[in-house]
Amino acid sequence: MDLQFLYSLIVGIFIGGVAGYLGSLMITKRMALVGDALGHAALPGIALALIYGFNPSWGAIPALFLGILVIWFFEMHTKLPMEALTGIVFTASVAIAFLFLPESQVSNALIGDISKISLSDTIFSVILSIIVFLILKKIFSKMILTSISEDVARVEHIDTKKYNFIYLVCIAIVVALGIKVTGSLLMGALVITPAAAARNMASNLFQYSFGALIIGVISCVLGILLFKVFSLPAGPFVILSATSIFLISLIFKKQ
Amino acid sequence: MDKDIVLKVENLNVAFGEEKVIEDLSFDLKEKELLVILGPNGAGKSTLLKTLLGLIPYEGKIQWKNSVHIGYVPNEFIIPDNLPLNLREFFQFKKDSPEKIYKALEWVGIKSSDKILEKKLYALSSGQLRRTLIAWAMSDDPDIIFLDEPMLFIDIHGRETIYDSLTRLWEEKNQSIILVSHEVGEVCKKADKVLALNKIKLFYGPPKEIITPQNLAKIYGSPISL
Repeated sequence: MDLQFLYSLIVGIFIGGVAGYLGSLMITKRMALVGDALGHAALPGIALALIYGFNPSWGAIPALFLGILVIWFFEMHTKLPMEALTGIVFTASVAIAFLFLPESQVSNALIGDISKISLSDTIFSVILSIIVFLILKKIFSKMILTSISEDVARVEHIDTKKYNFIYLVCIAIVVALGIKVTGSLLMGALVITPAAAARNMASNLFQYSFGALIIGVISCVLGILLFKVFSLPAGPFVILSATSIFLISLIFKKQ
Repeated sequence: MDKDIVLKVENLNVAFGEEKVIEDLSFDLKEKELLVILGPNGAGKSTLLKTLLGLIPYEGKIQWKNSVHIGYVPNEFIIPDNLPLNLREFFQFKKDSPEKIYKALEWVGIKSSDKILEKKLYALSSGQLRRTLIAWAMSDDPDIIFLDEPMLFIDIHGRETIYDSLTRLWEEKNQSIILVSHEVGEVCKKADKVLALNKIKLFYGPPKEIITPQNLAKIYGSPISL
């Protein structure tokens, strides 16, 4: 096994896992399309990274944080739903990115490229994935309660504003990491499809969240193996693997 | 503040923009007291509860006895479609042990078993969900429980079961209860005090003095049979 492929596989396993776990929260909070939208919001940063030849995740992170801050600020000062605000920010970001993204780099930006991952990229992705997973695990039950009833959560002394912000930051990091695997166009599916499949089969929250994590890992491993075999971009294979698992999950759907 | 007073409200005003929802309201709640808040739709009952809970900004004075622990049952608690959250996990949000969960469920008339704990919340009937919420709110022994229209969407039989549970809870556990209700039923008659609200305080006092046909007609705008 060549080293480059091993790095891709390790990155895929960790990012796929944390993305799936995050997705179980995002579906519960009715934010299924936010991951997709944020993937697009990262485009100006990815475009800069591709133009100047550095890791797209490094470009995506500041762009996403800026996007998240703008969404969070708008949410605090308007009564508009978060999905509407995200829609405004992501379309503006796409518009900005396409003003200066070279045509030759469009495909890379949209569907990712996992074939050029360095050791430092791998270590960075693994550490960040573990940190985000641990944070999400810590806030998971609080976020579930908040998504059912924010009032009850506040009475239970949960600082909903603080946790919502932490959660949004986690989304930003996972999206920035995932862009390397699937690109900005398909990022939403890496978060949502494994979680949707797990939700079909789960009997409880534990099975749901960790099922999503495992399906995220399997999807990435399958996708990267197919990328190795067919020498086509990994992103679409990862997403189609997740979609296949989702279709299989319909057979085992719990009532 | 007197020793036995857990909550003292003075000159409370709440407004949403220009619209005044609660005007110049004053009342108090003593330990182990049951206070029923009555009033028509839009009277500000739920707003009052949320204000007391610190969820809505206000003007005036709300004083709580030091370190009072509150349980809250909202009138709306919608479980997202197919969320696989079972009763065991729901109670674990409060870090309750299985023994505490069983005890709380038995208080509200739900026979405890491992099977019931594995049941998903969205699969419960409206009545079972209400009783589960009451059990959840009281499972960590709050000093005071806020119940916002616990009979909403519940059929007559379910209402009786919930009222029985509430009356038992109040009589045997000696917790203070603030109950928002549309109904002038048994619990209302057993209350220590009734607060009739329609943005302003209409009546406040013992149920015997408040629950009269004349007063109810004034509260609801039309005659109510007792």
